[in-house]
Amino acid sequence: MVGFVGKRVLHGLVSIVGASILIFVISRLSGDPIVLMLPVEAPPHVIEAMRRNLGLDLPLWRQYLIFAGHALTGDFGMSYRWQTPALDLVLDRLPATIELAVAGLVFSVCLAVPLGVLSAVHRGSWIDTVGKGFAMLGQAMPGFWVGLLLILVFSIRLNWLPAFGHGGISHLIMPAIALGWYPVAAQTRIVRSAMLDVLESDYIRMGRALGAPERVLVWKYAFRNAAVPLVTMLGVYFASMLGGAFVIEVIFAWPGLGRTVVEAVFSRDFPVVQAGVLFTSILFVTCNLLVDLSYGLIDPRIRRDG
Amino acid sequence: MAEGAFAQAQPAGPPVAQSRPRFGRVRRLFRNGLPIGPLLLFGMVVIAGLSGDGLAPHDPGALNLGAAFRPPAWLAGGSAAHLFGTDNLGRDIFSRVIVGANIALVVAAYAIVLSGTVGALVGMVAGFFGGAVDALVMRLVDIQMSIPSLALALVLAAVLNPGLSTVVIVITITYWTWYARIIRGEILSLKERDYVALARVAGVSTPVIFARHLLPNILNTLLVLATLQIGQVIIFEASLSFLGLGIQSPDVSWGLMLADARNYIQNAWWAITIPGVAIALTCLSANLIGDWLRDTIDPKRRQL
Amino acid sequence: MLRMRAHALAAVTLAGMTAPALAQDAKGSLTVAFAAEGTVLDPAKYSAGVDHYFIGQMYEQLVRPGLNLEPTNWLAESWKVTDPETKPVLEVALRKGVTFHNGDPLTSEDFEFAYQRLRDPKVSRWSHLQANVERFEIVDDHTFRIHFKEPDGDYIAQWLQLWAVPKKYFERVGEEGFTKAPVGTGPWKYVSRSVKEELKLEAYDGYWNKQHRPKVKNLTIKIIPEDLTRVAAFKTGAVDWIDGVPPSMVEEFKTLPGVKTLSVVSGNNLYIDFPSYKPDSPFNKVKVRQAVAHAVDMDAIIKTVLFGQGERYAEVGKGATGYDPDLKPYPYDVRKARELLREAGYPSGFETPCYNLTTPREPNVKEMGEAVFAYLGAVGIRCRVQGLEYGAWINLGRRGRSGPPEMDGVLSWMWSQNLPGDPATPWGGHLHSFVAGKGWGSYSYTADEKADAMVEQLKSTMVPEKRVALIKEIARYKRDNVLGGWTTYRPVITLAWRDKVEFTPWAYPGYWRGFQEIGLKQ
Repeated sequence: MVGFVGKRVLHGLVSIVGASILIFVISRLSGDPIVLMLPVEAPPHVIEAMRRNLGLDLPLWRQYLIFAGHALTGDFGMSYRWQTPALDLVLDRLPATIELAVAGLVFSVCLAVPLGVLSAVHRGSWIDTVGKGFAMLGQAMPGFWVGLLLILVFSIRLNWLPAFGHGGISHLIMPAIALGWYPVAAQTRIVRSAMLDVLESDYIRMGRALGAPERVLVWKYAFRNAAVPLVTMLGVYFASMLGGAFVIEVIFAWPGLGRTVVEAVFSRDFPVVQAGVLFTSILFVTCNLLVDLSYGLIDPRIRRDG
Repeated sequence: MAEGAFAQAQPAGPPVAQSRPRFGRVRRLFRNGLPIGPLLLFGMVVIAGLSGDGLAPHDPGALNLGAAFRPPAWLAGGSAAHLFGTDNLGRDIFSRVIVGANIALVVAAYAIVLSGTVGALVGMVAGFFGGAVDALVMRLVDIQMSIPSLALALVLAAVLNPGLSTVVIVITITYWTWYARIIRGEILSLKERDYVALARVAGVSTPVIFARHLLPNILNTLLVLATLQIGQVIIFEASLSFLGLGIQSPDVSWGLMLADARNYIQNAWWAITIPGVAIALTCLSANLIGDWLRDTIDPKRRQL
Repeated sequence: MLRMRAHALAAVTLAGMTAPALAQDAKGSLTVAFAAEGTVLDPAKYSAGVDHYFIGQMYEQLVRPGLNLEPTNWLAESWKVTDPETKPVLEVALRKGVTFHNGDPLTSEDFEFAYQRLRDPKVSRWSHLQANVERFEIVDDHTFRIHFKEPDGDYIAQWLQLWAVPKKYFERVGEEGFTKAPVGTGPWKYVSRSVKEELKLEAYDGYWNKQHRPKVKNLTIKIIPEDLTRVAAFKTGAVDWIDGVPPSMVEEFKTLPGVKTLSVVSGNNLYIDFPSYKPDSPFNKVKVRQAVAHAVDMDAIIKTVLFGQGERYAEVGKGATGYDPDLKPYPYDVRKARELLREAGYPSGFETPCYNLTTPREPNVKEMGEAVFAYLGAVGIRCRVQGLEYGAWINLGRRGRSGPPEMDGVLSWMWSQNLPGDPATPWGGHLHSFVAGKGWGSYSYTADEKADAMVEQLKSTMVPEKRVALIKEIARYKRDNVLGGWTTYRPVITLAWRDKVEFTPWAYPGYWRGFQEIGLKQ
């Protein structure tokens, strides 16, 4: 078991270091930040001085080693645009993104579980069809468009919900729907097929034969077992929510990490791009690691490969 | 969007027990016949896409400042000349939706062929040879999957300068891992089959094993994956274009149309609704076809 | 701009400034909302116009435009330039009785400190603007001299550059401490800030200007980048003052009961450039350039694409240094444009790449570009349009880069040089020809010897009256020959506030967002 955990943790670390190199290199190929930082009239010697000052004149590998060395001490450099530590900007934004990702996940699971269970119980009926249609619809619409439609209807026309920004629950509803509808289809499918298997298992049949009420059988016994596959997948879904937040945050002016990184890409603010992407990667890798480890705990056979 | 990350995350799912064949009404419909609706719908999109400007009643880029914000034909103030109304510059939305189909399909076709080919090749090689090659490939896949796909795509798009070819490259880079992982898994199990093992023992050359025994067995999977990817690619392209790092004006993309219309959400709801409906219907029909394919020719892969 | 003028005439002029006025203590609280925020709170780290939105509340300069946009001595009681033609010396007498928010009196030392920081490329992004300064001389607590190596007109054009920063305080708290608790001489004291959310300020009781000062005690500036949210926040009463009313909603806002609006130029100047310096380019011919200027119905574009939120200008905007009311933009005249093209040897027109900025640096700037290109197509200048996001756009526009792509067609571009604006520095960048390594023409697609000579002369002219005359002369030459691009419009922003707010708009610093005078009606 220790070996298994150690190997997985090592793989995770390799992923994070690799991701940091990848993002470092391509962000630096994406254009000259100096041009965006200095006034257009700035003469060449000033531009060169600035480049030296920021260490952008060094070979890429040396720039990376310097970056990595500092990053290990928690120093991700100063944001070119905000002229404050990039790490502070990122850490300030991280909670809002996590809040949004959790809200999106809660929304999707709250939809997927009843849909999956009902469509399994009423397999082949209209409930199954409608449930599937609803889930498929979410998978066919870009989240940002869902967000815009929600704003159009619930903010502009009906004036029920605040269109943008960060605040109480009312601010969370629309971004959570826009973010959480997409994975409903896949989650429903997981719950549905797990439920179908459990419902046909011997002990449920036995329960049925013994006259236990169907509702108790479905929700108390069958669902408990059927929920396992979905629960083990929650980490993966949470990670996908973090990725999805990049566009949704822009739509809803959500003061999160995604919007910050998108803006930083546009202004070639490398320190913020690096710190922002790296922290998202760490979250990603951690989530996936937890998922892997939980499989390992549930099913010892998995420990052998990978 | 979550699409990329989400799609990649899927194959990591737990081993859900396979169910026995079921014959629900919906399923029986699929068993007995084609998904007529989705096929028709998707066919229409393909025709629109192939026709390009041909079907468009107006020049999709032509400005008419005097005719801005005309509502769709079925509303008061609308006219038959502009079926879906006009946008803020008086451009005909119907024509732009048709031309947008072309870009969406071109991007999807190139991106799917490229990422499918690269991913399948890498996956086959990694799965078949195992060892160091496999470890290297899997670490690469891990690294890429640990970066949110949209963040990676945004930075890449900034490097390559936004535009059609950049979008294709970015999507290829984002999705090859998806194919590689799944195909690798397939190959791992195929490799253990007796006839493959026998062929190897008998000294059949590796290219022949690939061509005769492996490739035919993964074609079904590839077909299903590719069909399921259409919707994801279209949404991914729309998201990139929406953020300003995808298709660039004057090219027409549904995502770009949404970005443009966003400022006038109060003046012209149709401008923000219609391109989105086009995306949704296209993706929905592609996904339904993909589902049907998966259930029909490869029922084991219900979890994709 | 027209509305602004009317307002300004009615307002009190700055003449009787030192007269003891009724200095009521400020009371109450007010919340306002901006679409964008300043990135830094230290004037030496200023990087772009938006930084004024915050810096302009807390810090002050020696000179600024008054309510009628005329240059007005501010922290300077008086200033003069001796020997302006050869080795100029700028002598400044500081206003007495000015204190920083921490109570320290303002002295010459503080300005020397400000100068030292501004010229340090490690601190400032504008160190090149101090390149012609030879030394800074402190005469006494309230007098200092800046000695120049050679005449530098840009120094005058930019309100004498320096911002008052408290030397003693800064040295005590250090750079980081200063960023966390900035101190200036301005009407507003820093309270707290949350990036991307808000800036809280408090009226400074010891403010030196008893006449033009805030009449409300607490001010919260919310940052709401999304147009619809900002508008919603205003309509629901969460904020009482907003900037950047979306162009498509300006008409509606003007009719809202109990709401005042003000439409003013934003400080940006847009133009369409082309490679006139290239001998093989059609734009090398003056008639082709004039054809461009006649081909586009800019008024129609302003009316429909920009919802009226633009002001046409010819070379120098209304109110800016050297504005010439007799200099008119080219009229829209398709026939004339075609005729000019024919005379230039392009009877059937020609094809050209056209580069458009797609990032909304100004409202609807992408759509504006597309409309301009469409008009060009109508007279035969057929565009192959290429959209560029901001980073790629800046990169394309700059001269002296190594490697492709080269700007070889029509380019939608812009310049900004504070408010009401002075074209000298920008002209050095895009009217003067490109000279590698010298800083001239860093985004120029023009090469005209006469224009070069005049721009260089302007750079070395430090006497304000002479500068105005020279700017007018250059503007006329520039317009007639369509050099340094064809000037299109200046974006207009609309501010809105509720009736209960008393707001006097000051253009600069702050680009109309400086709350020099704001209060609540009693």
